[in-house]
Amino acid sequence: MDLEDDTTILTTLKSFNSFISRPEHPQRLSEHSAGSGILQSQYKRSMELLEAAERVHSKNRYLQLDQEKKQMELSHKRARFELERAASDSARDLEHEVDRNQELLGQIKKLEERAEEVNKKLTEQKEANDALQKNLEGLNKTLEERDDKLGTANQTIRSLKDEIRELRQKIQNQDSKMSAQTLENQELQEKIDLQQRKYQEVSQLCQSLQAAQSSCSDHIIKIKELERRLVFQEQDFAIVKTVKSEVARVPDLEKELKRLRDDNAYLRESRENCSLLKEEVEGLRKKLERMEKTKEELINMELEKEVKVWARSQSELRAELTQQHSKTLEEQKKREAQDALVRRLQKRVLLLTKERDGMRAILESYDSELAPTEYSPQLSKRLREAEDILLKTQSHNAEMEVCLQACINILFFFALLNSVCACIFFLRQKIEDLERERQRLEEQNNILEMRLERHNLQGDYDPVKTRVLHLKMNPTAIAKQERQQEVEALRQEVTRLRDLVRSLQSGGAVGHSQDDTHNPSFSLSLAPSKEVLDLRKQMESSELRNQRLKEVFQRKIQEFRTVCYVLTGYQIDITTENQYRLTSVYAEHMDDSLLFKKGSNGSMQLMETEFSKTLGEMVALHLHHQKSIPAFLSAVTLDLFSRQTTV
Amino acid sequence: VCAWHPCPSTETALGSSDNLEHRRKDRQVRLAAFGINSILYQRGIYPPETFTRVTHYDLSLLLTTDPKLKSYLTNVVSQLKEWLFECTVQKLVLVITCLETNEVLERWQFDIECDKSAKESSAPREKSIKTIQHEIRSVIRQITATVTFLPLLETPCAFDLLVYTDKDLVVPDKWEESGPQTIDQPEEVRLHSFTTSIHKVNSMVAYKKTESA
Repeated sequence: MDLEDDTTILTTLKSFNSFISRPEHPQRLSEHSAGSGILQSQYKRSMELLEAAERVHSKNRYLQLDQEKKQMELSHKRARFELERAASDSARDLEHEVDRNQELLGQIKKLEERAEEVNKKLTEQKEANDALQKNLEGLNKTLEERDDKLGTANQTIRSLKDEIRELRQKIQNQDSKMSAQTLENQELQEKIDLQQRKYQEVSQLCQSLQAAQSSCSDHIIKIKELERRLVFQEQDFAIVKTVKSEVARVPDLEKELKRLRDDNAYLRESRENCSLLKEEVEGLRKKLERMEKTKEELINMELEKEVKVWARSQSELRAELTQQHSKTLEEQKKREAQDALVRRLQKRVLLLTKERDGMRAILESYDSELAPTEYSPQLSKRLREAEDILLKTQSHNAEMEVCLQACINILFFFALLNSVCACIFFLRQKIEDLERERQRLEEQNNILEMRLERHNLQGDYDPVKTRVLHLKMNPTAIAKQERQQEVEALRQEVTRLRDLVRSLQSGGAVGHSQDDTHNPSFSLSLAPSKEVLDLRKQMESSELRNQRLKEVFQRKIQEFRTVCYVLTGYQIDITTENQYRLTSVYAEHMDDSLLFKKGSNGSMQLMETEFSKTLGEMVALHLHHQKSIPAFLSAVTLDLFSRQTTV
Repeated sequence: VCAWHPCPSTETALGSSDNLEHRRKDRQVRLAAFGINSILYQRGIYPPETFTRVTHYDLSLLLTTDPKLKSYLTNVVSQLKEWLFECTVQKLVLVITCLETNEVLERWQFDIECDKSAKESSAPREKSIKTIQHEIRSVIRQITATVTFLPLLETPCAFDLLVYTDKDLVVPDKWEESGPQTIDQPEEVRLHSFTTSIHKVNSMVAYKKTESA
């Protein structure tokens, strides 16, 4: 029994151990079973020893424990059962809850999605709104810009008009200036012509002057030649004279010899002729003096004549030339006369000298032959004095002649030179002045020509001679027209946009549909963004859907109502909130109707009407007694129907 | 159909001198037309895609395809040919106007000196194709070269052709008198002049000084 108890105890111990160790270490069982064989035997032995001591103590305990265990187990079982039941219930509940949870989660998700969608739609709507507002602002800005542009265009147009006016005025001014300039030009050209003619005349004068000068020089040369010839002639004359004299001397000498011899013979005969000789000498002296005077007078007269002649000739150049000739001729004549005179005088002088010499010789011979007396030295002295005087007069004569010649020449040449120089000077000055004017005019002409060329380069023209033409339909005119049209179109568009914007700003908050209905062109003139377009489409589609739904509902409701009316025989109208008016199909009068009101608790109550007053019995029966509204209504219908058919 | 070829009828119907005269005028007028087309292309008055290359005298030249422009040029050029024949033309001017400010920005001026006495008496010397090519090339080269220094035309512009004629000639139907359309304080550049058998053409371009800061 103990062994059995031991075994049972052991088994229970094992089971207990296993029970203890199962939830914590289910794996250790196997280890215990394998490696703990030896230990178990030892343990068994110890335990057996221990158990032998504790058997008695523990038996009760074990039995108690068993009982308790059994009770515990029973209670456990019950608890477990109940727990299981509870667990199953709770599981079921859990499942339910889980399902519900899931449903709720699903709903939540859906709601969240919807919320997101709605949010998105909201944001999109907001964005659309913002975009639309931005568009509006942009439109406003563009409108303002276009206004500004129009303003500036107007200003430019005004300024251009002013410019056009100014340009026209400038053109007029320039035209007038041009005409004035052309006139000036003509005048200048005329002046130039005049000056050219003058220049030609002056050049002709110059040429004539030059010819005159050349002729003058020729004349001067001729005069010089004549002078030289005169000089040569004089020299020739002198030579001829000397030769002639020499030639003439010989016979004279011979004659004189003869004469002297005769005279000698005669003089020898008479010494008393000395006084006669004296007287003759005195007579000779007087003659000489007279000759001098006459010569001087002649000379003076001739000088005066010539001076007068020169004075007359100084006024004219041409007359001077002829006068020159005449003068030269006169001079020549005078000179010839003078020469003749001189020759005569010289001849006379020679004769006299010869006479003197002869006399001297005679006297000398006398002196030599005779003794020196008182008379001969006096005679000789007087002779010598006479000779000296003769010589002096001769020299004086010669000097006078030379001076005369020189004076004549000098006067002549001075006069000529003066006149010629004066003329030349005067003409030269004229030429210089004309040259200067010519140069000035040439410079002016050049400047004017340059100016004309410049103007020509720039495109100016002489309206008297040229015309500027162009086609009426030229590209610039066409382009300007097109531009005008564009500007007009822009202006019109701007005014239209302004009106649109104003209308938008005033009725913008109400809704886009209004805009679409009022201004169908709104979407055309703007550049709508894609989002706005999509939103609009969505809106339109939703509105359409709404419309259709409304229509459908209306139709359905109408159908239903008619069906109700037909089937039940009553037309039910909702007059006010919770009040229903029923009109029967068989009503005798139009306004025979029943009025029902829905109470706060949901029940229908009949209201007092004219018609309902006539149905007091039925009301009492069906409503108060039977508490059935359908019965009442059908009773009323039957009643009315019966009345109708009978009537 | 190109408008620039000479009428074959004129070559056969008229006498020899008239025929040559007409051909000379045709050439000169064609030269003017090439020059005008070149200026319009280079200055960008019309977009470059509206111009097409055409072969004349073995040269590749640019002509416009815009029909309105073509008809305008034909009108002007035919009238110009008449006037050249009568030697009443003094100048041909191409004016470029800015559309926004209505100011004249550029002025291409061609002075034509016509030797009136040489109208009929000139020797019937045929111009070789080389000289014609040389003339056209020189004109177009000059026009292309001026683009390097002319200021850019940034605003939209339009052009107009003016003809300076003798005062006493009759103004035809479609033409009217206009102002000289000069530039205020212009910069002027003289271009190389060239001579044909009876005309001497001096060319120059005047442009408005740009307000450089």
